[in-house]
Amino acid sequence: MSSILFVALPLLFGFATPILSKFGKNGVAYTSTLMQLFLLALAVSLLMTTSSYVEIISIAPPLGISFVLNSASLFFVLLFTLLMMLFSFYYLIHRKTDAYKDETKFFILLNMLLAAAIGLVLSSDIFNIYVFFEIAGISAYILSAYKKTPSALEAGLKYLLTGAVASVFLVFAIALIYINIGSLNLAIISQGFETLPYNVKVLISIFLLIGFGFKVEIFPLNFWVTDVYQGSSSLVNTLFSGIVVKAYLFVFFHILYLFLPSGEFSVFLIYLGAVSMLVAEIAGLRQTNLKRLFAYSSLGQVALIFTAFAMQNADAVQAALFIVLAHSVAKFIIFLAITSIYREHKSFDITTLKELNSPFLRAIMLIAMLSLLGIPLFAGFIGKFLVLKSLAVEGMFMVLAIIIIGSLIEAVYYFKLAGFMFEKGEKRELLKISLGEKTLFGLLALALIIIGIVPMTISGFLLDAGSVMLDAKSYVTMLVGG
Amino acid sequence: MFEFFNQPEVIKVIVTFGSMLLFFVGLFGLLTRKHIIKIFISIAIMESAVFLIFIGLTFKLDFIAPILDSVNVEASTMNDPIPHAMILTAIVIGMAVLALGVSFAIEYFKLTGKTDIDEMNEMRH
Repeated sequence: MSSILFVALPLLFGFATPILSKFGKNGVAYTSTLMQLFLLALAVSLLMTTSSYVEIISIAPPLGISFVLNSASLFFVLLFTLLMMLFSFYYLIHRKTDAYKDETKFFILLNMLLAAAIGLVLSSDIFNIYVFFEIAGISAYILSAYKKTPSALEAGLKYLLTGAVASVFLVFAIALIYINIGSLNLAIISQGFETLPYNVKVLISIFLLIGFGFKVEIFPLNFWVTDVYQGSSSLVNTLFSGIVVKAYLFVFFHILYLFLPSGEFSVFLIYLGAVSMLVAEIAGLRQTNLKRLFAYSSLGQVALIFTAFAMQNADAVQAALFIVLAHSVAKFIIFLAITSIYREHKSFDITTLKELNSPFLRAIMLIAMLSLLGIPLFAGFIGKFLVLKSLAVEGMFMVLAIIIIGSLIEAVYYFKLAGFMFEKGEKRELLKISLGEKTLFGLLALALIIIGIVPMTISGFLLDAGSVMLDAKSYVTMLVGG
Repeated sequence: MFEFFNQPEVIKVIVTFGSMLLFFVGLFGLLTRKHIIKIFISIAIMESAVFLIFIGLTFKLDFIAPILDSVNVEASTMNDPIPHAMILTAIVIGMAVLALGVSFAIEYFKLTGKTDIDEMNEMRH
């Protein structure tokens, strides 16, 4: 039953929040954080008990709702609950000084977002995926426009417009699937997809690619991303780059592996990912706003993950999961650090880093940037190295070259930022950082370094998760029987 | 004279071409209009086209409504209820998203007085 809890508990808390807030103003934030901690403990206990965990909850397989919790989805559930818990924790630390105006609404949205992201990952029914796709979307639009300043509202509007167009194409794809196969269950669709006429297959694939393409931020459907990141508060951006896009990426490739296990589209998708990365990094070069710059960096990293997933072999998927983990943690550090800097400096311009007087924040941001860049001894290196290795094994040297060029361009702007941070010159007075914040940042940075030095700690689990994610056959037999 | 239109094949052709036409009307509006409310209307038209094609192609003319009672016990002569349930859900979600979008547009208009999507460039300076 535990896999239902991951979706039901946050949803329940989301809806119960208005009632909880009647009992006291402080109740909402603390109970939500405790609930997220409980979910995290539950996920960790599932991880500990069995090495390859499989749980299916279903109500009459051909018709009903079914959730599948295997090691691939467990990895994402762990990541999302951990990040959301740490996010609430960071919010609680600064609650006294810059609490959001309407905290109850804020926590409703956070819990809905968590429920929807986990639901996307667990669900094995394409219509449920659509519903969670929309719930995650709606919470993200509101979080984006939450501050109600002109730029926040503009970001929310752009996010919502692209999301609405994406959902039209997704519904179209689902309608075509149901008309031709007569089922919404991913396993049954997976069995029937191969026998469809070629042009129907292509049409469904194109609609799915457009529908998810907006959400997984792939070129040329990613024009909205940087505006959304720049307009939203940097606090909320941690969720966009850490949770929302990762959930959509997982679902997109989960569906792709089930529908087209032979990899008919994969070469096209690999090139699409590589080109997206190059375009994002080149555009990132001349940015002067910290939020916008790291939005471009997110686009680049997401495109790299996209390329790795698109290769459809176990090593590459393991590499993709490594980058997912490293990127989520690193971006989490960076966007929260930017939030802390903004609280003092009231500016997002990259030159504020020159005046930043906080050795701790500087060190933390440097670690995160080195990890994003893929310098050895940091977590990002392992992922990037494995991607390049599998590209070399496959003989795709063109893509390999594009990715290396992209990384070099990425290095230029990270070193520019690092140069700003360590430049000698006028500094402001020392930026005070509370103990709780230090622990939070310290633990995350430590995680990046530990994974970078001893990747064996998690590589076995990630390899297992990757091969489970790729294995369409056993997924189908698990759900509908041999 | 309208017997011709009662044939299932003719209905399928009309539904397919009609809703595709509607879909492209919406897509055209989405790509060419600049007023934010008109863009929302275009998206609503596209959504309706998808709903129509889905219902139109799964609906069978001689079949009865999917209600099980003492008279209708034969499920094989009933229309498939799943597309209807799905489209109802999708309509509700689509309306919710559009309502949210319009409320954003109103708030934005109150603050800046702009309704043109090309003028929305708070971030570009």
